[in-house]
Amino acid sequence: MKNEILFEARQMNKTFGATIALKKVDFTLRRGEIRGLVGENGSGKSTIMSIASGMQSASGGEMYYKGKKWSPATMVEAQEGGISMVLQEANTIPHVTVAQNIFAGREHLFKSFGVINMKKMFKAADEILDKFNIKHIRGKDPIDFYSFEERKLIEIVRCVEDKTEILVVDETTTALSLEGRQILYDLIHKMADMNKGVVFISHDMDEILEHCNCLTVLRDGDIIGHLSKEEMNSVGAIKKIRYMMVGREIGEKYYREDYDYSHTGKLALQLQNISFGRIKEFNLSLHKGEIVGIGGLSGCGMHEIGRAIFGVEKLTSGKIIRNNKEILNPLDAINSGIGYISKNRDTEALILNASIQENIVLPSLNDLQKRFFINPKEERKLTEAEIKTLNIKCHSGKQLVSTLSGGNKQKVSFAKWIAKDSDVIIMDCPTRGVDIGVKQAMYSLIEQMKKEGKAILLISEELSELIGMVDRLLIMKNFKVTKEFFRSADLKQTDIIEYMI
Amino acid sequence: MNGHEKEKIIRHYIKSNIFGVAAYGGLLVCIIVFSIVPPFFGESIWTITKLSTLISDVIVMALMSVGAIFVYTLGYMDISIGKQVGLYATLMVIIGNKTGTLLWGILLSLVISLFIGLINGATGEVLKIHPIVSSVVIMMVLGGVSSIMYNNLGSRNISLKTIDYRIFKNPIFMLIVLITELIIITYLFNFTKLGKYAKAIGANPIVAQQSGINLIKYKIICYLIMGLCVVVASIFQMGYTGSASDSTGTGFEMNVMIALILGGMPLSGGMRSKVSYAIIGAFTLSLLNIGLPLIGVKPNQVYIIKAIIFIIVVLITCRKSKGMLPR
Repeated sequence: MKNEILFEARQMNKTFGATIALKKVDFTLRRGEIRGLVGENGSGKSTIMSIASGMQSASGGEMYYKGKKWSPATMVEAQEGGISMVLQEANTIPHVTVAQNIFAGREHLFKSFGVINMKKMFKAADEILDKFNIKHIRGKDPIDFYSFEERKLIEIVRCVEDKTEILVVDETTTALSLEGRQILYDLIHKMADMNKGVVFISHDMDEILEHCNCLTVLRDGDIIGHLSKEEMNSVGAIKKIRYMMVGREIGEKYYREDYDYSHTGKLALQLQNISFGRIKEFNLSLHKGEIVGIGGLSGCGMHEIGRAIFGVEKLTSGKIIRNNKEILNPLDAINSGIGYISKNRDTEALILNASIQENIVLPSLNDLQKRFFINPKEERKLTEAEIKTLNIKCHSGKQLVSTLSGGNKQKVSFAKWIAKDSDVIIMDCPTRGVDIGVKQAMYSLIEQMKKEGKAILLISEELSELIGMVDRLLIMKNFKVTKEFFRSADLKQTDIIEYMI
Repeated sequence: MNGHEKEKIIRHYIKSNIFGVAAYGGLLVCIIVFSIVPPFFGESIWTITKLSTLISDVIVMALMSVGAIFVYTLGYMDISIGKQVGLYATLMVIIGNKTGTLLWGILLSLVISLFIGLINGATGEVLKIHPIVSSVVIMMVLGGVSSIMYNNLGSRNISLKTIDYRIFKNPIFMLIVLITELIIITYLFNFTKLGKYAKAIGANPIVAQQSGINLIKYKIICYLIMGLCVVVASIFQMGYTGSASDSTGTGFEMNVMIALILGGMPLSGGMRSKVSYAIIGAFTLSLLNIGLPLIGVKPNQVYIIKAIIFIIVVLITCRKSKGMLPR
């Protein structure tokens, strides 16, 4: 029955030691709902659903599912009962096949005479994948064949069974390509049509407004309010939601407000006919005081361009020139004043179990070492200056980066290159998985960098961000640039998308 | 900052320092036990003779462990250092007897150690194999060379004939050399790029490379530093008796590993690495060697007791934090 209560949490409480993650919240999910759950990092939105799906237990309160008391001990038990959660982090088992991943823990289904019939398992996996309209992934392939985005899809496939009544999607879309997202959107709408329930946790306001039919906003472990579809569609809804999330006006200013795409005209970086991998004869000029954006689907080759400029990719032909010198490796790039903010923040940009200070000073150690001595005071001074400029929330520079929230981690990644005083900064998805407060801070930082005459290459999958920030936008498809746009108030996402797909 | 974050920080602090805490505690317990108990057996470690024995027992191991810190910080280890000690000691004795001075033997050892360091440091980056593999190959080659040399000599044991090596038996001199090496290594580790780069490479080589660190260069430097220290340790190994044999250095690579683990060094290297772990571990191990017989443990039981203590330390330091961290 539509609108029947499917899941209910009453006075749900969660504490970690002295810390309160959830303050006695009441949460209801009805059949047919696609309920968006939004809030800043650490607001408790993931916590509610991770308790419902058996990942952790509540400190207090009760849960009811289909009218009965609900207290799953494990995620497997919850999934058997019908509540599945797709997690934010990568959660596939490496070095085995796709089918083994999909049926992990359920291998007994394919057992005959004590041996698992792999053929049967591969076939069943392909059938499920077909059902989700995922034709390019096959059950018998090793999972390592597939990219991070595709593995995320496999995780989704694993979570959703016929008996699944509630699907929880926890910030999964940031890890998906555009095609992957479409598959996920189709799935959640189908589930809602079948009178099942979906909880959709995301930072991306556009997708929340487009796909959810009701919304709950959290802040500091408390539910601040609910919005109906009508309220979500009303004028100024985004502003209202942001206000609810942050608890203060974050102001009108978000993206750049000027539409002036002029720059100094002085060349900062040049890519001359570079070829490597599937990229052929790629050209690009970046000027001082210019923000160039590259947009496209995740597999279009734009991330590889960023890596190549930083000297990580080996070129088969062509040159990357800065200040009349060729860049061959990251060391050349850094010495010539290029900084690179990797898309894979936790694995390529930051050492998680190192302190904020150790991360920030790492590229600058060369400059800090004088007469074979690095003065710890100088290291601290540099770190403290960056913590202050970027407003990194921490108790000191000695704090481990792994204890920071996603937004603050990203600030540390920025800080490395600001501390190094790099003149050219390549940013690959700099605002991925970052909440609005931090996003706003980063956009104003990027704008300020432009004013200081720095050259910026912004690679992003978020079109609104590219339209809002860049002077010149290159759209890529299949490893080639398909279209170039200049900054304009009239530029719309819909004009761009046709060149991407 | 809210309380939630604060608790995370405290948890991380304990987690990241449990290695050090357990190791310092272990050394302290050893000192206390071996100060209190031996007097009941009419013995004491706090005598000049026993302390001299301790220093001469610890010196070779400590010199090597401290030198190996850079390589262990990278998350690597070198299996060949035992055989290296054997070869260097042998060369010093043979060349010493021929030339009448230790200098040329030491210089030749240094040249060989530089060469080995270059190979071990570079293979990981150039051939994309784990450096432990190349160190195993070197171990086998050196073992073969030493076997041929002793075969040609027609003896399994050779001694210095005319050279006065008494200085290398002097505990004060041993202490001075050890402290000097410790100061130099600590300085390099904490106040120059070298140590900071080694930690970064050990923790995450991709981040290190993308922060402008030349991986191959710094890996080689780490191995070179260790090679240098192994040569210094070889001088004392040879100098204690003024001799070398075909079994000199056997098992030293394992002793270094045991000392470092006992000291609290994570085998994966990285950010938690500290020079002090080497010195604590070497002293704990030697205290056990000297102290256990004094409290009535028979020499043939020392191994078992050491094994038990080793297991306890490993269990304490290797425990992972349970449960989910709040997200």
